[in-house]
Amino acid sequence: MSVIIQADGLCRNFGGLQAVDSVSFSVNEGEIFGLIGPNGAGKTTLFNLITGLTPVSSGSFSYQGRAITGLPPHRIAGQGIARTFQNIRLFKGLSVLENVRISQHACTRTGLFSGILGLPASRREEREVEEKAWEILKLIGLSGRAAELAGNLAYGDQRRLEIGRALALQPKVLLLDEPAAGMNAAEKQSLTGFIREVRELFHVTMLLIEHHVPLVMGLCDRILVLHFGSMIALGDPAAVQQDQAVIEAYLGAE
Amino acid sequence: MEGFLQNYGFLLVTLLQQSLLAFSLYFPLMAGQLSLASPGFYALGGYIAAIMSTAPECTPLREKLGTGIYPLEWLAAGLISGVLALVIGISALRLRGIYLALATIAFVEILRVICLNLEITGGAIGIFDIPQLFAERWSYGLIFGPLLLLTLLFVYRLENSRTGRALKAIREDELAAGAMGIHTTYYKVLAFVIGAVLAGIVGAMSAPFLNTWNARQGTFDASISYLAYVLIGGSRSMWGPLLGAVLLASLPELLRPLKDARLIINGMVLVVASIYLPQGIVGALGRLKRCVVKNTSPMGGER
Ligand SMILES: Nc1ncnc2c1ncn2[C@@H]1O[C@H](COP(=O)(O)OP(=O)(O)OP(=O)(O)O)[C@@H](O)[C@H]1O
Ligand SMILES: [Mg+2]
Repeated sequence: MSVIIQADGLCRNFGGLQAVDSVSFSVNEGEIFGLIGPNGAGKTTLFNLITGLTPVSSGSFSYQGRAITGLPPHRIAGQGIARTFQNIRLFKGLSVLENVRISQHACTRTGLFSGILGLPASRREEREVEEKAWEILKLIGLSGRAAELAGNLAYGDQRRLEIGRALALQPKVLLLDEPAAGMNAAEKQSLTGFIREVRELFHVTMLLIEHHVPLVMGLCDRILVLHFGSMIALGDPAAVQQDQAVIEAYLGAE
Repeated sequence: MEGFLQNYGFLLVTLLQQSLLAFSLYFPLMAGQLSLASPGFYALGGYIAAIMSTAPECTPLREKLGTGIYPLEWLAAGLISGVLALVIGISALRLRGIYLALATIAFVEILRVICLNLEITGGAIGIFDIPQLFAERWSYGLIFGPLLLLTLLFVYRLENSRTGRALKAIREDELAAGAMGIHTTYYKVLAFVIGAVLAGIVGAMSAPFLNTWNARQGTFDASISYLAYVLIGGSRSMWGPLLGAVLLASLPELLRPLKDARLIINGMVLVVASIYLPQGIVGALGRLKRCVVKNTSPMGGER
């Protein structure tokens, strides 16, 4: 199994606060890699480091063997790392369909003038974007609401659309930040199935931040546990669940 | 017809011209960037045209090209405005929201003061007796009209293209747009440059139309007028700037019989519209239409 993401001694501090403190791990291709930890453990910050939204204080990470530390977010996304946000950041004032068209930006090339003039190459590309967008909407079950504004969707649908939007980027790695937050039990159940389906269909590697323990345990191949920015455990779900440091971190945090 | 054009020709051309200037502000706004730099590029374009049309150094060029000098002036104004916008945009577009607006106002002011003091721009008096392209005022519609049509077509095609989608994504959520693979700085600068090129060309076309060109052409007042066109017309649809410019630029004319009271009414329209029409007139019409469709279509909530 080949390594797709490798992190070496990642650190990030905000003023005096060590949000992420020398975290090292590697993610294998095709894996669902869980990331858990109490509130404020640094999980979202770690995602922000990987996607370039927050610069690292020190340390480095590589993707498919190439160093990508310090690249701007659009370059990292362009190489195939897509994400969702904990506090949903859809393009709320645009239609559902437009949301999944936009994120195909990096895998298309039409420039200003060929788009305006409607040159053959740009028309062909536009058709492909359209097809792909509908394909994604069918997959996430929102093709009936394509024209609706993204901001008007129900909460659970917004979460699904955000995953759809990330998938439209045709990523090799997908970072999901608490995709089940705010969902009811039935929705969480269907989300689990959906994430499995996505892995089958897109052969995508996933990093998953999630608080809901059954969901994480059921889905993930391996789990990394963060506590106050530091790694306290890394292993398969069963081992992590038995780990003394993990139990203490969670009990202490309650 | 003749009489109508005599009376209203100037107003009609002014409406076309103001609509174009509204669009020069609309482009950066498509990417969510509040730039008030348009009057600066408009003034710059006008000076370029005025100088090329009057400076003794350009006489041989004028003699050689005849009326062909005018398209050359438009081209030069567009190019120089575009290059200047590129330089300014790359540094200024790091700023956001109101700070960007302030920086662009500063740019307009700096340019105005420079033009007031340079010899080539005629100092405080400016440049006058600019040769006319047409004998009649209304004939200038023959250049502003096609440019407006071209601009409308451009915007229409842009909004449904990859580039336009990138701009809209940045307007909606710049951080998310970056995370979706969009080079946000590139597209913000691009939109700013397109707006500047348009303003520059409009300035170059306006110099002969207005006959004189001076530092009063690019001022803070103009920035606010253009912004009002776009905001009151609607900043989220290409029809917004057009409608806003036509309504607001003709308002003072329509209210002329009221003498000075017209300034008060003009101001009140601005205040009332910005309070009650947060999405502009076009936005309000769109909402009205959606309501009607919802209430009449059998599939009610589905739309
Ligand atoms: N931009 C920032 N500036 C200052 N402090 C920050 C910033 N971002 C995160 N932090 C702090 O870093 C720590 C880690 O935050 P982070 O959001 O990564 O936690 P998390 O594990 O995702 O928590 P949660 O489960 O609540 O989402 C927190 O103490 C947070 O307050
Ligand atoms: Mg978080």
